[in-house]
Amino acid sequence: MTLTKTRHAAPPAAQMAIATDSLRKVYRGRAVVQGLTLNVGPGEVFGFLGPNGAGKSTTIKMLLGLVMPTSGSVSVLGGSPQDPNVRQQLGFLPEQFRFQTWMTAQEFLNFHGRLAGMKQGELRARIPQVLEQVGLGGRGNETLNGYSKGMLQRTGLAQAILARPRLVFLDEPTSALDPIGRIEVREIIAGLKREGVAVFLNSHLLSEVEQVCDHVAFVKAGEVLRQGSMATLLGGEVPVEVRVSLLTPELLSDLGKLGEVEALPEDQGRPGVQVYLTRDTDLPLIARAVSANGLNLYALTPHRPDLEGLFLELIDTSGDQKTAGQK
Amino acid sequence: MKNVLLIAELSLREALRKRLVLILLILTALFVGFYLYGILRLQQTLDDRALNAGLDYDPGRGRRGLTGASVAFSAIFGMYLVYFLGSLMSVLSTVGAVSGDIENGVMQSIISRPVSRAQLVLGRWLGFSVVNVAYVSLLSAALLIGVRVITGFTPPQPVLAALLVLLAVLLLTSLTVLGSALFTTLSNGIGVFVLYGLGFTGGILSTIGQLAATPVLITLGNVANVLMPSNALWLGASYHLQPEYVLQLNSLTRGANPFISTTPISAGTVIWAAVYALLVLGLAVLAFRRRDL
Repeated sequence: MTLTKTRHAAPPAAQMAIATDSLRKVYRGRAVVQGLTLNVGPGEVFGFLGPNGAGKSTTIKMLLGLVMPTSGSVSVLGGSPQDPNVRQQLGFLPEQFRFQTWMTAQEFLNFHGRLAGMKQGELRARIPQVLEQVGLGGRGNETLNGYSKGMLQRTGLAQAILARPRLVFLDEPTSALDPIGRIEVREIIAGLKREGVAVFLNSHLLSEVEQVCDHVAFVKAGEVLRQGSMATLLGGEVPVEVRVSLLTPELLSDLGKLGEVEALPEDQGRPGVQVYLTRDTDLPLIARAVSANGLNLYALTPHRPDLEGLFLELIDTSGDQKTAGQK
Repeated sequence: MKNVLLIAELSLREALRKRLVLILLILTALFVGFYLYGILRLQQTLDDRALNAGLDYDPGRGRRGLTGASVAFSAIFGMYLVYFLGSLMSVLSTVGAVSGDIENGVMQSIISRPVSRAQLVLGRWLGFSVVNVAYVSLLSAALLIGVRVITGFTPPQPVLAALLVLLAVLLLTSLTVLGSALFTTLSNGIGVFVLYGLGFTGGILSTIGQLAATPVLITLGNVANVLMPSNALWLGASYHLQPEYVLQLNSLTRGANPFISTTPISAGTVIWAAVYALLVLGLAVLAFRRRDL
């Protein structure tokens, strides 16, 4: 698999939820983010993936106007992240979710709602709603210093979605949550997607990203290695392991018509091949070919690529390239 | 303006909820009570001496001469302590106004809201200024009323003196907010106290310069007062706290006491202190505009 940057045909920046061009941030002579070009469409759930120190959090901070870019351009919801009108439509759960712990959850949300320009009447109805949504229904009158780490993260999530934003940034939103909490967060993200809210998700939990994201970008050392839709990135050839009683030239010829065939070593005395299908809908055709040749089929196992495999492949290969000076 | 008030409200609520105000009130009551008890004992001693000397003392007329001066000095030095505690309070309460929120991560979720950085700095300044001004006003009133009740002594212009102390408090609050927008909490605290010390040094140099008729020291003192006019403001306040006979007494010593002044503060210094506070606040807004969080 080659490591080219794929850019999908994007609408103009003004219509995008996020559009960056050659975004760069240098701290004390060291480039943390270099030449980052990203496009996130409206209503899209976008996964932002990369190893530790890849510049993900710095990128999120630049998208929110918390950190000033050294060069390059940023457009969020068609405007500058410094523009209060743009910020009014944003939600943000920081990775380090530290809040005013002397407040109750209710007071904390009320304060953030007022900062976001919400009216008191609206807040009275909305706060219990979001607390319920993040699993803290009935706990709003407790001070935050009595909350567990997971409860604080849920409060942060409630704060992020409180003002009905058009774009939500979630930086490691499930890092302190138990499995049930993670499922709940997935449901919240799915709910946001249904409402047409764009979500920019930074998470190390690739299985989660795979379940909720439409698009992903892989970054390393402040550069985008690859970005694209999940279908594009994971929808390539499907390697299928086939184990049969005997490999005949006729069978190999039939399988060759379906895709590239590669011999596999015997497994428990059963010969096998790997067939690279271009479409996974062709899977039943393999079984049909084996049957048509009068042979027994012992295993038909598609090895679909997953995000974790792709992540490891991209990050490892990128490292190799850098070592070889091919970057 | 709405956001400035909202942030100021947050600062006030924070001060109340973190029991800063409660602790301050308790400590203030202890300080004022302790100091006034000392003045009460002084008054009793002076009354006893007057009776023993066979003097027909009328408390309603107040004291004059050296005994009256000791009462006046106790009020003046009480106010000096108010100025010192107010300065301490201005720096300590405000030292992490911006940097503290950055260091503990609270700032990120606030600044990502539709609130400008300028509004945040101004809101924090306003909130802490209200707390500090209220504290110093309360402390000044408690001390001066207490002294009046015990001794019958009232300084000639207590309100003017308190206003000059309050200007010093506002100046220190602004400087601390600027430091907080630029540096870490610890560096800021150290930096502002060094500046405060510079102002005090200026007062001492001026005093020695006048006493020893050395213009260079007076010039150095003036430079220090321009760089940090807080001590000059206190000295100005001390002038308004002295009755005429105490001023005459202090003039005889050629201003040998670095804690009090026998001349009024110049209008230029007062205007400079006010402009300085505003300039520093403006700089704080500018400094925070481009700070990475």
